[in-house]
Amino acid sequence: MSKDLTLVKGRRVGQFNERVMSELQVVQSALETAAGRCRWNRALRGLWYGLLAGALLSLLALGAYHLFPLPLWNVIAAALVPFPCMLLGLLIGGLRKPKLQQVARWLDGRQRLQERLSTALEVSSQPDNNSNTWRDLVLADAAQHVRGINPRQLLPFGLPKATRWALLVLALAAGLGFVPEYRSKSFRQKKIDETNIKEAGRQLAELTRHNLEKRTPIVEQRKESLEAVAALGDQLAAKSMTRSEALKDLANQAEKLKEEISELARDPALRRLEQAARSATGAEGQTASALQKQMEALQKQMGTPIGNPDALEKLKSQLDKLQQAAKGLADKNSPGNDAERQKLSDSLSALSRQAQDIGLQMPQLDDAINALAANQTDLLLKDLQAATTDLEKLREMSKNMQQLQQQVEKLGKDLAEQLKNGQPELAQQTLQKMISQLKAANLTPEQLQKMMDEVAKAVSPAANYGKVAEHLKAAAGQMKSGDKPGAAQSLAKASDELQNLMQQLADAQQIQAALDAMNQASSAIGTGQGWRMARGMPRAGKGGKPGSGVGTWADEDGQWDGTTTAGWDNSGVVRPDEDPRGVTDRGEGEVSDALKPTKVKGQFSPGGPMPSITLKGVSIKGQSTLGFEQAATAAQSDAESALSQEKVPRAYQGSVRDYFDDLKK
Amino acid sequence: MSTEEQIQTFSQSYTALREEIGRVIVGQDAIVEGTLISLFAGGHVLLEGVPGLGKTLLVRTLGQVLDLSFSRIQFTPDLMPADILGTNLVMESPSGRREFEFQRGPIFAHLILADEINRATPKTQSALLEAMQEHQVTAAGELRRLEEPFFVMATQNPIDQEGTYPLPEAQLDRFFFKILVGYPSADELTEVLNRTTAGVQAQVQKVLNRELLLQLMNLVREVPVASHVKDYAVRLVLATHPRTETAAPIASQYLRFGSSPRGAQTLLLGGKVRALTHGRFNVSFDDLQAVAPAALRHRLILNFEAEAEGITTDQIIGQILTDVPRDAQAVSV
Repeated sequence: MSKDLTLVKGRRVGQFNERVMSELQVVQSALETAAGRCRWNRALRGLWYGLLAGALLSLLALGAYHLFPLPLWNVIAAALVPFPCMLLGLLIGGLRKPKLQQVARWLDGRQRLQERLSTALEVSSQPDNNSNTWRDLVLADAAQHVRGINPRQLLPFGLPKATRWALLVLALAAGLGFVPEYRSKSFRQKKIDETNIKEAGRQLAELTRHNLEKRTPIVEQRKESLEAVAALGDQLAAKSMTRSEALKDLANQAEKLKEEISELARDPALRRLEQAARSATGAEGQTASALQKQMEALQKQMGTPIGNPDALEKLKSQLDKLQQAAKGLADKNSPGNDAERQKLSDSLSALSRQAQDIGLQMPQLDDAINALAANQTDLLLKDLQAATTDLEKLREMSKNMQQLQQQVEKLGKDLAEQLKNGQPELAQQTLQKMISQLKAANLTPEQLQKMMDEVAKAVSPAANYGKVAEHLKAAAGQMKSGDKPGAAQSLAKASDELQNLMQQLADAQQIQAALDAMNQASSAIGTGQGWRMARGMPRAGKGGKPGSGVGTWADEDGQWDGTTTAGWDNSGVVRPDEDPRGVTDRGEGEVSDALKPTKVKGQFSPGGPMPSITLKGVSIKGQSTLGFEQAATAAQSDAESALSQEKVPRAYQGSVRDYFDDLKK
Repeated sequence: MSTEEQIQTFSQSYTALREEIGRVIVGQDAIVEGTLISLFAGGHVLLEGVPGLGKTLLVRTLGQVLDLSFSRIQFTPDLMPADILGTNLVMESPSGRREFEFQRGPIFAHLILADEINRATPKTQSALLEAMQEHQVTAAGELRRLEEPFFVMATQNPIDQEGTYPLPEAQLDRFFFKILVGYPSADELTEVLNRTTAGVQAQVQKVLNRELLLQLMNLVREVPVASHVKDYAVRLVLATHPRTETAAPIASQYLRFGSSPRGAQTLLLGGKVRALTHGRFNVSFDDLQAVAPAALRHRLILNFEAEAEGITTDQIIGQILTDVPRDAQAVSV
């Protein structure tokens, strides 16, 4: 107290007015220095508080993401939100420059200056009055206390308590990231549906666009319809739709396409053309000359003309038997087998003669006979194997030749047959040939007569092809009257009409293809099995590779959703084969009588009904593009694969093998 | 005398008073300080403590060191207001004429020691109300001014409550400070024994006369107070008002009534005196906090819950001082 009061001694108000100003400046200067530091401190404090706020927001967002089906960007936002919050806190903290009065009050509290600075500042700002003496005293006291204060030393930068909390909350948020999020079954189903819809939409758009690129419909309206289908596919792929919405949109568009197809189907000419196309031989697009060229090439490859495939098959089976016998001979390599050798040699000679009889040269057989005579069993087997391979190749080529011959036979010989057989392209080619003949100057009357007869004969079968019959009739008349240019023109019109009909048919087929694709999309969305499954293709597993086999291709995350086997009811079924057993007595397994497969040997009687069962599913229309044998072989391969991978229950494995064995027979 | 000289005189007088009182009173610095703060602030003091702690001695010593008229009133249940204020008596003049003449009671002094004030009846206690607040008394239908300065130093015993009359709230509010007198420490007690059991009694000198005291009392009121310090005093008092927006939670829970505006006045005046006694020319938050218990404890009325739980007003004030921020507007870093 005495120290403070010494300030008073000897002072008079009039004497230290000048000093008062300097003291005020001292105080203000110190406060201004502290203000900058104070501002920085406040900004840093704002930064840490921003981090705390951001961490809390992050924790909340992550918690919400774990509880509710929010989009994935919420997680990214939760991870990023602390940064803008820190920046915002820094800005808010450091944006405003603190007033001197605020700094004075803060410094008073911080340095325990007993409100000297703030009081001095406040008193000095008041207008002059009787309390001037007090103002001077207070200022002098404040100036004395503020001297020597170094803000940098007094206000060191430090971390506020909020930092600890912010780090704790951040750690919690990070920990929450490892907790699996909760998603309801309905939500998961919805996501699967969305994926299926998008995939179906993408495939639909891709397929339709591919068709459009291959061929543009001749009628603008049909083109627009197909483009609308592609647009619908894009819409399905782009938008998030529910299953019912997607099916509704698909059904609406499909309805339009069906209407167009119905409209096309009303045209009898087109109907006839479509029927003819359905019963086509497969060589429709090929001309007789092209087929002939193929046959010649094949014949050249085969060399001399050979017998039919049946004869070759017979030879092959005999050769197989002889090969088996030769193998047996090789096993029993003893002198007592001379009789068998002789017998084998005779059989080989007979087989060689048979081959020569049907025009087949097989030098390997002669080599085999020589090897047998020289008792070279290995060489004998080798030669027999080579003969078998050659015979197999010849049999295949012979079969192909036979098929080509059948196709050639089915091609219409003249215009009437071509129209009757539903071969409009061939008919068109014939018409073009006639037109060029008519235009040629060297057409003899006989040739003209023959052409006229052919055209007249074709008038009747052409009745199903719109105006083609009319034009042919006119052409025949014009030929009769010797009007070759008129006849050529009429034939050209008939050709154009055929061309137009084929275009219409192609349009219809294109629309039908789009409709099929839409049905497939509907099926994929409706059943929830995806586009590939709806198309009968294996769904891609991990790594985008198809198949459900072993290894990483399996869709390990896939869960049975109850849709595919919802109709199954195995309650009450006794399965002793699935009863737990020891390792050693795991045998073939016993099946209850109710589950034992009944083998019924199919007896095919021509004209009689075949035994059949009805399976519910998507109906497949149209003709198979695969041969029966190919299909059966593929099915057997799949079955063997399934058996080897233990996919088929043990009790049924025998049944499956029996089924395919029977099929082979 | 200039302000600086007055401040210098204040400092010297205060120091001298402490020294003189210290000759008689051992220890009890806070009690002495509180009493002197009340004196310079022109307020009355209620000293509460068990018997034998030096309450009366303190006031008596104060009366001795101040060159002021001093009256001691021993309050008893049969004490009447007229015994304090005075009354009209029939007096015979030198001419032989008999007439009523007002005989002044002991209240007509500068320094009044109201010993064991709670032993008097409320009627008698109320006789002090006007004198304490207005510094005047009304007796025999006539208003009579009391000479300045006028201080009432009352003592009361918290125990032995039988036959006592607790002071009414209105009267309690008129006391500037209520000071609780506690037990002395071991050293202090030893010193007390040394002083009181020896043959020599300590003698004190008068160090402050009436005129100078009045000047210093005026000086105290000139001490500047910053607006935020005033605001703190206001917020402290408002925090004691239960069930209001500004109330502290503990006040709403345990108080029936909070402090009157006199509490805020007391805080500020007490703070001013304390600032000067600590060699400062301005009031600080610490000053307000230091005087807050003495200034507010008798102005807070506890509710039943507080009584049942044994909560004291000092506990409530302590919590309020913790809860109410000193400078809510200061820049926070």
